[in-house]
Amino acid sequence: MKRSTLYPILAIVLALCAAPSLLSAAKVGAAAPDFTGTASNGKTIRLSDYRGKYVVLEWHNNGCPFVGKQYNSGNMQRLQKQWTSQGVVWFTILSSAPGKQGYATAGEENDYMAKMQAAPPAALLDPAGDIGHLYDAKTSPQMVVINPQGVVIYDGAIDDKPTTDLNDVPGATNYVSLALQQAMSGKPVETPTTRPYGCSVKYADATH
Amino acid sequence: MRIERKMRWFNPSLGFDRALTWGAALLLCAASAHAEGTPIPHGTMELIARNQWIAAGHTLDLGLRFQLEKGWHIYWVNPGDSGEPPRVKWQLPAGLTAGSMEWPTPRRLESSSIVDYGYEDAVLLIVPMHAEAGLAAQPPARLGAEVRVLVCSHEMCIPGKAQLSLALPVKSQPPAPNARTIDARNLDARNPDARNPDARNPDARSIDLFTAARKALPRPAPGNWKFSVADANGSLVLSANLGRRVMQAIFFPLAESQIENAAPQNVQPVTAGFRLTLRKSDRLLKPLERLKGVLVLSASQSYLIDVPLSKPGAARSKKAPALESSRYDP
Repeated sequence: MKRSTLYPILAIVLALCAAPSLLSAAKVGAAAPDFTGTASNGKTIRLSDYRGKYVVLEWHNNGCPFVGKQYNSGNMQRLQKQWTSQGVVWFTILSSAPGKQGYATAGEENDYMAKMQAAPPAALLDPAGDIGHLYDAKTSPQMVVINPQGVVIYDGAIDDKPTTDLNDVPGATNYVSLALQQAMSGKPVETPTTRPYGCSVKYADATH
Repeated sequence: MRIERKMRWFNPSLGFDRALTWGAALLLCAASAHAEGTPIPHGTMELIARNQWIAAGHTLDLGLRFQLEKGWHIYWVNPGDSGEPPRVKWQLPAGLTAGSMEWPTPRRLESSSIVDYGYEDAVLLIVPMHAEAGLAAQPPARLGAEVRVLVCSHEMCIPGKAQLSLALPVKSQPPAPNARTIDARNLDARNPDARNPDARNPDARSIDLFTAARKALPRPAPGNWKFSVADANGSLVLSANLGRRVMQAIFFPLAESQIENAAPQNVQPVTAGFRLTLRKSDRLLKPLERLKGVLVLSASQSYLIDVPLSKPGAARSKKAPALESSRYDP
């Protein structure tokens, strides 16, 4: 890695260690922190390039049974298709560190998405956990919704059934769809934040 | 990190947990001859009863006993930042209704940036069963439990499912205090287990397990203890007057999203109690009205507390001075 890319990472790591109380970065109602990430399709994605559109961030770990519930029931793929067909940008984010559950190389993630018929415009590979920490992502599948002005309008669980049971998908209230529907029709988002249930995000071991 | 120092007395390398581990190990030894249990991911579970029979008009304690491999845990009723508590669907004979599950005091389970609340090693979750007064005497009735449990390590989670059952007769006389538990597999006298002394007399083991589990339940806080909670700059300050200086305290919230689970809990000992500063959750949608949860002061002292939040401005008028009082000073 070049020195020029190492310094910003070092700066972030130091900032994270020094000031854990300042970490609640992605607060609902505040500007969504910008990031640049590499997608499994090889593209470089910068969040701020999507200003003017709704953006959904989905924290992903293909070994997590809470994520499995959403993908094996086809619910996550349904949501991705439903909302991207209406102009919403959807990023699946993999913040698992190498060697940990949910970590995938670009090829592995592309195979997984093809097998699951998942259709996010991009799956961002975040093995260093930079994007995850920037948004204080605690679990998979934690979900964040950002409005066209770049403001976080939802941060939390995917729905109101914090279980791993596939049978709980049909009756659940989906907070992501609710936030998008309400915001698109000019209404305030009724439930802007919830406890993001699921598996812990498998970050690289803390060095501090 | 500060939190690690604060929580050191919960560290498995120290006294309390060591005692628990030894206790669990001894129970495991005692149980091994008798109980194979139903497999769940990285552990086993069984359905046990404290009493030998269902007594009409009385309450019967049933228990879901989990035994987990080292490094694996299950969750408390409030799982914390991740996870899911075990859930049971009961299949009960008519006239028997299940009460709420009684949750022993959990542990803080810390991993990377999150804190969960749950149980390691072994735990017995007690469910009281209420038998109607008019229940007619009958031969052994089957009590079934379909249990869903999420078993996790710091690295991964595996959902498990188990169908358990137990057969107990219904009698009109009250349950004997040292009643013997009849396990479904011991009903058949030809069962080779019946020749095993442990299997012939499993009641002693069951009773010990229930007694230990009841001891691990948080108790209601004594009536003369005074608590107040003030909302101050993103923190909740729990002030407690127990009539003695308290050096250690840790709080487990019963409701999700009241406090930041992973934030350090700062204890400030004062003359007649302590002040505990908890970081308020970023995810509170409405102002918090009550702080409800389990307060742990030592390995053997945990209490259920339910404290209304002081109204802004009124916080210092009555309760705060009492906290500073030296009235209880030894």
